[in-house]
Amino acid sequence: MLVKRPPTDRPVFGQTTGGEHINPSLQPDRAVSRILRKKDMDAFLESVKAFGSLYGPRQVGPNQYQLMPVGDVAPVSAECRRTILPPKKFLIPARDDLCHFSADTGYRAAEVYTGERVILFGLHACDIHALVTLDLVFNGKYPDPRYLARRQALAVIGFSGTAPDGNCFCHAMGTSHADRGFDLFLTDIGDEYLVRIGSSLGDDMMRARVDLFGQVEREHIDAYKERSDRRQTQFDDTVVEDLPQILELEHDSPIWRELSERCFGCGACAAVCPTCYCYDVVDLVGTDGITGRRVRQWDCCLFQNFAEMSGGFNPRPNRTDRIKHRYYHKQVHFVERFGRPSCVGCGRCVEACPAEISLKDVIAAIRGRSG
Amino acid sequence: MAKPRVGIFGLTSCAGDQLVVVNLEDELLDIVGAIDLRSFIMAASHPVEDEFDVALVEGSVVTGEDEERVKDIRAKSKLLGAIGTCAVWGGIPGALNHVGRNTLYQAVYGTEEDLFKAREARPLRDVVKVDFSLSGCPVEKHQLVQALLSLLHGDLPSFPTVPVCQDCRFKENVCLLKTKGQLCLGPVTAGGCLARCPSHNIGCEGCHGPLDEVNFAAEAALLEEKGLPRERIARVVRNFAHQADLARIM
Repeated sequence: MLVKRPPTDRPVFGQTTGGEHINPSLQPDRAVSRILRKKDMDAFLESVKAFGSLYGPRQVGPNQYQLMPVGDVAPVSAECRRTILPPKKFLIPARDDLCHFSADTGYRAAEVYTGERVILFGLHACDIHALVTLDLVFNGKYPDPRYLARRQALAVIGFSGTAPDGNCFCHAMGTSHADRGFDLFLTDIGDEYLVRIGSSLGDDMMRARVDLFGQVEREHIDAYKERSDRRQTQFDDTVVEDLPQILELEHDSPIWRELSERCFGCGACAAVCPTCYCYDVVDLVGTDGITGRRVRQWDCCLFQNFAEMSGGFNPRPNRTDRIKHRYYHKQVHFVERFGRPSCVGCGRCVEACPAEISLKDVIAAIRGRSG
Repeated sequence: MAKPRVGIFGLTSCAGDQLVVVNLEDELLDIVGAIDLRSFIMAASHPVEDEFDVALVEGSVVTGEDEERVKDIRAKSKLLGAIGTCAVWGGIPGALNHVGRNTLYQAVYGTEEDLFKAREARPLRDVVKVDFSLSGCPVEKHQLVQALLSLLHGDLPSFPTVPVCQDCRFKENVCLLKTKGQLCLGPVTAGGCLARCPSHNIGCEGCHGPLDEVNFAAEAALLEEKGLPRERIARVVRNFAHQADLARIM
């Protein structure tokens, strides 16, 4: 099978074909680790700015964070568990011109991203897995040039420094740890960060301030292992093993109707989901009557008109059908196609739902015996 | 090709939607140049009312005169569009539909006499065939422009009802309903406003009218759970969506 290489030498992380990494430097056995003292973090981030536009989580409300440009003050928000919008906002903007058209000259593809590198600091393992998941979709059978241009300009500095909260279920989804998909990954091991280098770019970033980085000693290894053991105990017992099978059996469960009575269909869950990528395409014509632009914008499977076709036929006419479809797409159909669910357990949908619907509760209910 | 003959009309309403047309500063000349605007009493005297390719009608049907007027416009028009929440849903004039008109006459005019042959405010579609709808209080400039341009291209304007929440999430606003427990009708209200009010920390009042498939019951139950008084919830929901029968859904 053909390995789809992006047009530049910058690898798209995680894109695998037959289990083979595109970029050999991402092979785990080639990765190396260093130690960064916490007090040197600000100086390090300052030096990273030489590699592109640096973004990091900034607090905008009680327990509310956004990925925002990093100014002079380092944004290291160790408390940030999840940003309101996930990193996908840098790859598939909420509204994006696909092409421009004119009655005189026809269609012309909109320019792809050619701006400078965007460095995202502070992504947790779940969000890194989400980027890898988006790659499966946008760099799969039909590679998307708009996505790839932005993806190739993206650098990732992962971060693990927070204990999970009640909305996290990355452990259940197998995304609580990332071994690839990042340039650097920092793990809080006490007074220092263990820094794993995941790419040649990450190596360059480290070497730009090599004076700040130390070698890994036995005490650091022990501290990391101790933290790793402790972390295993911090997650609850959400069980997703064989969930596709159980969902398949519970297709007619009354749970779906009950859910639809609480759900508004407001789409907040999909908007904040790091792997929800569904979009609508609309033509906006200009006032001159002969030109216009074709725009791709986020859509949501919970909206009534999402699946509506010409003539008004709608295969999922009511909310019960649509909410069920949302769960089945993420937890069954995606698994059948790509070998893993598209959910990464980040908990954003739980946090965003105004109706207080929790995916964890739904999973628990559907696994329950009575249906 | 002859320019399409267009008429813009108002029934019982505040004329705010017609005002949006006049306020289309950047696009107005292009649009007026592309159409044959035959009747728009807000902007031009001496309307010509024989036939229209497109009629845009603002306001709800409240008086007997409204009903006759909209039926007459319908008879003269190939396409009729409902513009603004009053025309699409009944809007503010319907906020007190649950109170009898005689009671309202008494309160406002001191008599129960039927002065205007008024009855409950109705959306246009309850009286005449409506070909396309554009809600909003008032309608959004960008949507109105796209509607007019679609018509010029020979397409029926189509604005899928997507909730206000969608734009709130795009903007990464902190959710007023969930995080601050404010009364916000975003989840049950048609968007298009780019979440204007929630972006300024004001809960959505529902001015664009309800979604096509709307879960008022869940919204009302949720707000009551958050400690908001039932009467206040009922009043706000009724402002723009008199169809929501709180007695039934709560």
